[in-house]
Amino acid sequence: MSRVALGLNANIAVGLTRVASWAVRSLGAGDGGVLPGRILLRLYPDAITELSRSLPCVIVSGTNAKTTTTALAKEALSGSFEVVSNTTGANMEGGVACALALQAGRSLERSIGVFEVDEAYLPVIAPQLETKVVALLNLSRDQLDRVSETRLTSAKWRAFLEEHPAVKVVANCDDPLVVFAANGSASVLWVSAGLNFVQDARSCPTCGGEIDFSKSRWFCSCGFSRPEPDVEVDGKIISVCGKTVEAELALPGSCNVSNAAMVLGICEVLGVDIDSAARRMSYVAEVAGRYKRVNIDGHSVRMLLSKNPAGWVEVFDMVGNDPSVVVAINAQIADGRDPSWLWDVPFEQLFGREVFASGERAFDLSVRLHYAGISHRVVKDPLEAIRSCRCGEVSFVGNYTSFQALRRQLKNKDQPVLTEIRRLADRILR
Amino acid sequence: MSDTIRVVSVLPDLLGTYGDSGNAIVASKRLALRGYQVELINAGLKDGIPSGGDFYFVGGGEDGPQSKAAELLRVDAVVERALESGAGLLAVCAGFQILGESFIGPNLKPQAGIGLFSCRTHRFDGPRSVGELIVEPVGSLAGLPLLTGYENHQGVTELLPGAVPLGGVLVGNGNNFEGRSDGAVLGRAIGTYMHGPVFARNPALCDHFLSLVLGELAPLGAIPLEEAHRALYDERISEVYKP
Repeated sequence: MSRVALGLNANIAVGLTRVASWAVRSLGAGDGGVLPGRILLRLYPDAITELSRSLPCVIVSGTNAKTTTTALAKEALSGSFEVVSNTTGANMEGGVACALALQAGRSLERSIGVFEVDEAYLPVIAPQLETKVVALLNLSRDQLDRVSETRLTSAKWRAFLEEHPAVKVVANCDDPLVVFAANGSASVLWVSAGLNFVQDARSCPTCGGEIDFSKSRWFCSCGFSRPEPDVEVDGKIISVCGKTVEAELALPGSCNVSNAAMVLGICEVLGVDIDSAARRMSYVAEVAGRYKRVNIDGHSVRMLLSKNPAGWVEVFDMVGNDPSVVVAINAQIADGRDPSWLWDVPFEQLFGREVFASGERAFDLSVRLHYAGISHRVVKDPLEAIRSCRCGEVSFVGNYTSFQALRRQLKNKDQPVLTEIRRLADRILR
Repeated sequence: MSDTIRVVSVLPDLLGTYGDSGNAIVASKRLALRGYQVELINAGLKDGIPSGGDFYFVGGGEDGPQSKAAELLRVDAVVERALESGAGLLAVCAGFQILGESFIGPNLKPQAGIGLFSCRTHRFDGPRSVGELIVEPVGSLAGLPLLTGYENHQGVTELLPGAVPLGGVLVGNGNNFEGRSDGAVLGRAIGTYMHGPVFARNPALCDHFLSLVLGELAPLGAIPLEEAHRALYDERISEVYKP
C-alpha cells in the first residue's frame, strides 16, 4: 500500500488547499482548517474518500470535549503511529478534508487518522473514511438551530452503527443517549466517563419513561440501563479492563481525566500500551489555545472555552480561585444563533467574583446574570473587559467564536481588511 | 388566594430544551421585586403537577418528551382546573402545541392535545422554522410594544375559527407560513413560538401576564435590571426588525 496516487486536478486542488491553509494561518486569520477545506471540497468533492484510502481511522464525536479528547488521543497514539488529525476544532467535512490534504502524498505506512467529527456530521463523514473505531463521548443540548435535537442525533448514530457492523465503538456508559446509540453495535467498550448535565437524558430514549439517576447505575423500568463499564475513573486512577494507570495530566479539571479514560479505551481497542499512552497524554498542556494561562497586560488569564450548559459545569470546576471572570458570548453560526441556553447555566455559582459580561451578545448574558443575582459590568470587547479586571488572576470563558476572536486579537494580527476578505470568501463558498 | 404566589414550572425535565425555564425565573423575580412572597415550584415527572398554583409555565421540548408530557397533562386536567380557578398560563413552542386540539406525535401521526387553544398543529415537510421572530401584539395585548423571540420548530399551527393569535408576525414564521400570526391567547392563557426566553426578551409581556392574575402592577422603575432589559430589547429589535 502506502502512497495514494492522485489525478492532476486532485493534485492541483490539494496544492491550492495547502497554500490557502498556510495563508490563513500566517495571516493570523484562523487555524487554517475550515476555509481551505471548503475550497478543496468545492474543487475535489471526493477528497475525503480518496485522500484517506488505506488510512485506518478513529472518529471522536459528541457534544462536548471532542477537541480535547482528539488532542489527547493524537498524543497517546503517536508512540505507535504516525497520526493524521484535525486538532483545531474544524470538525465538519472541510476540516477533515483539509487535515488529509496537508499530509497527502506522504507514505501512510504505520499511519492512523484521528478525527474529531461534529455530532451531526458523524453519519456523513464516517462512511467516507476507513473508520475502525468510533468514540462516542456525550450528547446534550447545543446549537439547536443547526444540530437536531439530541434524541434524533442519537438515533442517527445508532443507524450508522447498525449499517457498519465492523466499526468498533468506545462509548460513555454514563450517558443514556450515547448508550442508546452504541447499542446499535455488537462491539462496544464501555467507559464510565461521567454525565454532568442530566437534563437532556431524563426521559428514556427507548420507551419515553423516566430514567432513574438516583443510584450510581441509571436505569429505566423498561429494562434499558447503564452497561457495566470496562474502563473506570477513581480520582486520577484509571482502570482499563483490569489494568490500572495513573493519569497525571497537565490539563485542569476532573472532566479531563474522564477524557483521558475515553482515550485509554481507544488505545485498548487498538492494542496500544496504556502506560505509555498515559505518559504521553501528560505532556498535553493546551489544546487549540484552551486551558493555558496567558499574560495580558499584567493579568494572568486562564483561557477557557465553553459553549453550552454541559460545558459550563466543567468550567465552574476549572475557574478555581480566579477572583475575576470575563464571560464572552457570541451567537454566530458556529455558536448557534440562539443563546437562550444561557438560562440553563447556573451562573449563581460565580457569586463573590468580579464578573464581566462581554461579547456580541453581552446584553443577553447581562439580563441572565441579573436574574442569577450576579453583579457585573457589561464591556462588549473581551480584551477591554480583561484589562478592566481589578485582579491579576482572571478566567476568560468564551463560546466558540468569541474565544477564537480573542485568540486572534492576542496574536495582534487581527486586521479589519482580513476579516472582510474572509467574510467575502465565506459568502462566495456558501 | 394565599399570601404566597405559587409559580409552577410544568415538567421541566421533559419540556425545557430551549432555556424556557427562564420564563418562570423572570416572572418569579419580577414578583419578588414588587414585594410578593414567591414560591417557584419545579414540578418534575416524579413530583406530579400541583394544583392551586397562580402561574403555570409549559416550555418547549423534543418530540418524544412532548408526547409524554401531553399524556401526563391530560390525565388529571390540573392545568385546565387551575385556569378555571383564576391562574395564568404561558406555553411555549412544544408546550403551545400540546395545549391545542392536536399535534404531531413521535410516530408522525396526529396526537390529541389538551384542547385549551382552538388550534391544530400539522406536520410540515418543508424547511424548519428557525430564526428571530418579531411579533406585533393584537387583541387584548394590543398596545404592548413589539415582541422579540427566537423560533425553532418543524410543525405548523393552524388557528381554527374563533381563535385569537398573540400577534401578527413582522419577521419570521410563527404559527405557519401563510397566516402571518404567532401563538394564541385565551383569557389568562398565552401560547407562543417565541423562545429567548420570551419573558427575558420582553419584560413588558411578562408584567402584562402577571397583571392578568394580580391586577395592575407598579413599574419597577430605573433599576439596573430594567436597564439591562432595555439594552437587550433595543438591540434585538434594531438588529432584527428593519421596516
